[in-house]
Amino acid sequence: MWPSRSRPRPRRRGVALLATAGLLLAACQGGGPPTAGAPGTSPQGAEPVTLNMWLFGEFGYGPLIERYHREHPNVTVKTKVADYGAHHDALTAGLASGSGAPDIAAIEVGFIAAFKARPENFYNLLDFGAGDLQGDYLPWKWQQALTGDGSALIGLPTDVGPMAMCYRTDLFEQAGLPTDREEVGALWPTWSDFIEVGRRFTQATGVGFIDAGSQLYNAIVNQGTEKYYRRDDTLVYASNPQVKKAWDLTMEAIQAGISAQIAPFTAEWNAGMQRGSFGVLTCPAWMMGYIQGQAPDTAGKWDIAPMPEGSGNWGGSFLALPRQGQHPQEAYQFISWLLAPEQQLYVFEHTGNFPSTPELYSDPAIQDFSNPFFNDAPVGRIFAESAMKVTPIYEGSQEGQIRSIVESAIGRVEQGQQSPGEAWASLLEELEREVGPSS
Amino acid sequence: MSLGQVVERTGSPLARPGGSGPRPGRRRLTLSRLDVAVSPYLYVAPFFLLFAAFGLFPILYTAFVSLHRWDIIGSRTWIGLQNYRDLLADPRFWIALRNTFSIWVLSTVPQLALALFLAHVLDRRFLRAKTFFRMALLVPNVTSVVAVAIVFTSIFGLHFGLVNYVLESLGLGRIDWKAGVLSSHLAISAMVMWRWTGYNALIYLAALQSIPQELYEAAVIDGASHFQLLRRVTVPMLRPAILFTVVVSTIGGLQIFAEPLVFDGGQYAYRGGTGRQYSTLALFLYEQGFRSFKFGYAAAVAWVLFVLISVMVVLNVLVFRRIRSAD
Repeated sequence: MWPSRSRPRPRRRGVALLATAGLLLAACQGGGPPTAGAPGTSPQGAEPVTLNMWLFGEFGYGPLIERYHREHPNVTVKTKVADYGAHHDALTAGLASGSGAPDIAAIEVGFIAAFKARPENFYNLLDFGAGDLQGDYLPWKWQQALTGDGSALIGLPTDVGPMAMCYRTDLFEQAGLPTDREEVGALWPTWSDFIEVGRRFTQATGVGFIDAGSQLYNAIVNQGTEKYYRRDDTLVYASNPQVKKAWDLTMEAIQAGISAQIAPFTAEWNAGMQRGSFGVLTCPAWMMGYIQGQAPDTAGKWDIAPMPEGSGNWGGSFLALPRQGQHPQEAYQFISWLLAPEQQLYVFEHTGNFPSTPELYSDPAIQDFSNPFFNDAPVGRIFAESAMKVTPIYEGSQEGQIRSIVESAIGRVEQGQQSPGEAWASLLEELEREVGPSS
Repeated sequence: MSLGQVVERTGSPLARPGGSGPRPGRRRLTLSRLDVAVSPYLYVAPFFLLFAAFGLFPILYTAFVSLHRWDIIGSRTWIGLQNYRDLLADPRFWIALRNTFSIWVLSTVPQLALALFLAHVLDRRFLRAKTFFRMALLVPNVTSVVAVAIVFTSIFGLHFGLVNYVLESLGLGRIDWKAGVLSSHLAISAMVMWRWTGYNALIYLAALQSIPQELYEAAVIDGASHFQLLRRVTVPMLRPAILFTVVVSTIGGLQIFAEPLVFDGGQYAYRGGTGRQYSTLALFLYEQGFRSFKFGYAAAVAWVLFVLISVMVVLNVLVFRRIRSAD
């Protein structure tokens, strides 16, 4: 489970080193940092350094790490890949116990707010001159890893998950609906229109339109600028009209009977995807890979249209440097190279993870990228447009717990355990117990 | 003790030929006395050292943590017993407690009865390929718990599950196994039973085979019926084995974690269902520690669980003592 460590890491010394490093950096700020932010240069005869990096899922960094090692022979990067839950648990445990955390750790956006609320566990990347890179990344993505007061940045952006709507052309045809992506997009300028289309669809086909109410809810609630927290971290889950709007529309959809009631990311969901148990799927860029992996036989039956009422983001990660690391300078130099636009383009071309660096969006490699699985939809252009339309939305420290409570309440209505009114009342009660009262 | 005595015995004859007088002899005597006194402790020390490091220390440290408001990767403040007071007032705790006991009873009682029956069948003389059947009983137990849970979860699936397929083809409606309290507990209990019935059956089988045949013969001569043989000979002779399996099932059953987690399988599996229908104490502990980052509160859950298990085990033993004295 634990990564091999090349040397013991006394914790105190790490902190002292960090403090000195911070001071040194601050002192060098005028004359330009000696090595950071200058990828490709390696100090002659530098002592060998091993960087442990923890990832989850598929980041597609393997060949890039090898290239970096060729250019910087003194730096060896060892990666350990776990699954999503286990990865974040191990990172939390390593930070909590004061030892065992890696030099570099991936943090998914679902966890970034919680870790950001405890920034003392990570090196502040602004101390290493990360501020100079801000212009390379999408502003809303950058904000997600920046503390509320803007004083600390705990991670550099990897990929993003701009959203569109994947739909089944075969089922749409069966329902007598248009199948062309422009016309489909024109069917649902608003979410109410979307639910109306769903009614027609389910009536004609007998299968669900959306996979689950929680998916619809998330797509809507993430289109605002605030959801459960205000920027000053006060809780507004009970009073924010965006939350209520998303909830009410979701309840309307469930009561219209257009949900297939299949919980996302379960085995049944994968099976439902193969069998065509639902007509649409809220689709962040990375979902394309998921569908192709889980339902390879549905190739050519999918297409992609814009979402109602704008765009949204779902998923994407950051690379952070836990304070326990002994080589923050080398680690920062490595991640700032790894996450630079050129390398993100390489990752996109090889694994499909969508870049967080907008200057690439006009690149032919993205503009001309289409996917035959999705009926040759120009997915590069669709997701680039979607990414540019995402509005920054503020997320507070207990975002993950709040989401689980709200989505579970939606699930209870779908399963018939509670009426919408009962579910809303019980979710407010549970939220108050878990995260505190809403203003 | 005995090893120390051996050393002493072999030590003194060796000392004599040298004729080195009383002082070295006394030193040897002291040494060997010391040996007798200390060695046994040294021999058992490794276990106690390991237990202290990996058993006792975590238990005590958890108690210490539970007295704080302790952010898992942040600040900590001493709050005394507040976590325990909060816990007793937390409906989520009571739901988890109810579920834990319900799943434990639903899985343990039928499991042990079935295990006893299987052991009885396997003990029959006429049975062929005994070794094969005994091995087969243990196969579910060596299967990974996650693999078992994944398979059972798809069997109990709402839309594409085997059980619902059968129910529908019989003209009965589908059951949303995850939605209900009892239905979800039954599904989870089925996983536990599948995994542990064979293990318990083998323990009963070993105990059955150690019952002297004479007891049965004597009883038959006295005119005992089949049922009386079971009631008056087999069950009393199996009592130690039954106590063992009940205690082990209690310890394991009250800590149930992986089965409900995998059974849910969704993004928020640690909740144990949309309405916490199958949230167990271990799941609640994990949720509070690793998702809410409330380390102190999670530690309080851990301690309550520890005390509960201890109480249950003591109760088991007491109940068995009563049964024995009633006989």
